[in-house]
Amino acid sequence: MKNVYQYAVAAVIVVLLGYFSLSFENLNDVKEQRRRATFNAAQYARDFWDNQLFRVIDQAVEGNELIELFNSNMSEAIQRYGRAPGVSRNYAYLIKGQGAILTINDDFLEISTRESQRHPEIKILTGFYIPGNAVRDASGLIDVSTFSDTMKFNEISGEINKIIVKEVIQPFLDKKPKAGDPLRFLGATRVAQDATEEKELQLIEVVPIRLELDAS
Amino acid sequence: MARKLLLFPTAILLLILLAFGCKQKGQEHVGDGASKGKKKIAVVISTLNNPWFVVLGNTAKERAEQLGYEATLFDSQNDTAKESDHFENIIAGGYAAILFNPTDADGSIANVKKAKEANVPTFCIDREINANDVAATQILSDNYTGCVELGQYFVKKMNKKGTYVELLGILGDNNTWNRSKGFHSVVDNYPELKMVSQQTAEFDRTKAMEVLESILQANPEIDAVFCGNDAMAMGAYQALAAAGKADEVMVFGFDGAKDVIDSIQEGKIVATGMQFPKKMARMAAEQADEYIKGQRDFPQKVPVAVELVTQENIDKYTAYGRQSEP
Repeated sequence: MKNVYQYAVAAVIVVLLGYFSLSFENLNDVKEQRRRATFNAAQYARDFWDNQLFRVIDQAVEGNELIELFNSNMSEAIQRYGRAPGVSRNYAYLIKGQGAILTINDDFLEISTRESQRHPEIKILTGFYIPGNAVRDASGLIDVSTFSDTMKFNEISGEINKIIVKEVIQPFLDKKPKAGDPLRFLGATRVAQDATEEKELQLIEVVPIRLELDAS
Repeated sequence: MARKLLLFPTAILLLILLAFGCKQKGQEHVGDGASKGKKKIAVVISTLNNPWFVVLGNTAKERAEQLGYEATLFDSQNDTAKESDHFENIIAGGYAAILFNPTDADGSIANVKKAKEANVPTFCIDREINANDVAATQILSDNYTGCVELGQYFVKKMNKKGTYVELLGILGDNNTWNRSKGFHSVVDNYPELKMVSQQTAEFDRTKAMEVLESILQANPEIDAVFCGNDAMAMGAYQALAAAGKADEVMVFGFDGAKDVIDSIQEGKIVATGMQFPKKMARMAAEQADEYIKGQRDFPQKVPVAVELVTQENIDKYTAYGRQSEP
């Protein structure tokens, strides 16, 4: 009897030791964690481009208005329209406009949005690759804090930029635009908060989201 | 018989010790800070063998002290095991918060998790951990974007062609890859720019000098060196100077450290990316203070923009920041 009692207690001890030493996780939960760990930036960018970006492009500011605000009140421009993920002197903006092509270069074209203006105000990037995060940041749709690893956040920009080259810039260039052609654009730009400290800002660089020759 | 009599109470004693030793969730007293006098904040830095990190650590410590805390600096010596020891001591020592510069984006997660379970909030500075549910917040240099801009400048200075070497930082640090990938996202689009060698020098000046000396033996005719941090840029410059090539080969760094800023002013090193260690360190100390006072709503990841510093705009900058900022 005494032995049975001792064995029972020993068994309880072993069970309790096991309980405190081992942790059990649901296999489906572990699989889900691993799945989340595999990130497909191209797929994310595709979904962003097809299903998310359209929700904010109406917020794009007319190019004339934005440049005037940069030069008259940069703080207000930042407060009203600027976006930045974190702490930065550079803010991204959604911008739109229309105007005539003044010059066409290898990696960009310049346009003037004012009929009487012969100097370009907008430089639209049209090269074979687009650097930077202008569209990602200007949209305000992608939160860096949702990524465990900021490299994923960065990869998204690269994939968005590839879509822009392939689906915006190339089709536009295939139409063989020339100086004097009117066009409409919508895109993103990044401007430093001290860009107007020493002189007026006269030319801003835009990554295109939409680029169309204006048939009218 | 005597042995059997001893076995039972010993087993019970072990059981009791195990029950109290294993699960310590819910213990509230750990992390309350010092029971009398000032609360304590720990500043854990990956290495104090690099002046940039010394500035990071000292600024965090000073700001915490200005805010009324007793602050202690811990040097992890680039060793995750040492870092773990620091966390054990910090948790046992009743610190109220940890300002933390991780040694490894994956390896350091367990330490932050341990601290969280002990109710000690961790504020990551400069480097991230690959988790977004254990630290209170992570204040990070936007290394990728910084190196995109550096890469664009590199392409311009190289006139879109030439051969170069890349010296990488510590391979387990996300910053190493954010910088390298940002750089290559630009430079790799130019087929006439050829990388002849890419090796790690672990963010260390002496190692960078040795590694580049070795690389130069196999590749004596290079046009540029891109280094993942300023300490390596200085080491690379030393190696080039010793080989009589300092005037022929352009060196690019990243950090904004004093010796490289001075070197850019002297027309030697070509460019660097200015991180803002003082800004990040102060932010971390201030957010720790807010947390201790009850604030909980912090963004998990806060990128801090890096600015390109070249020989053309060097007058705007000083070591570790802008001229116009403290």
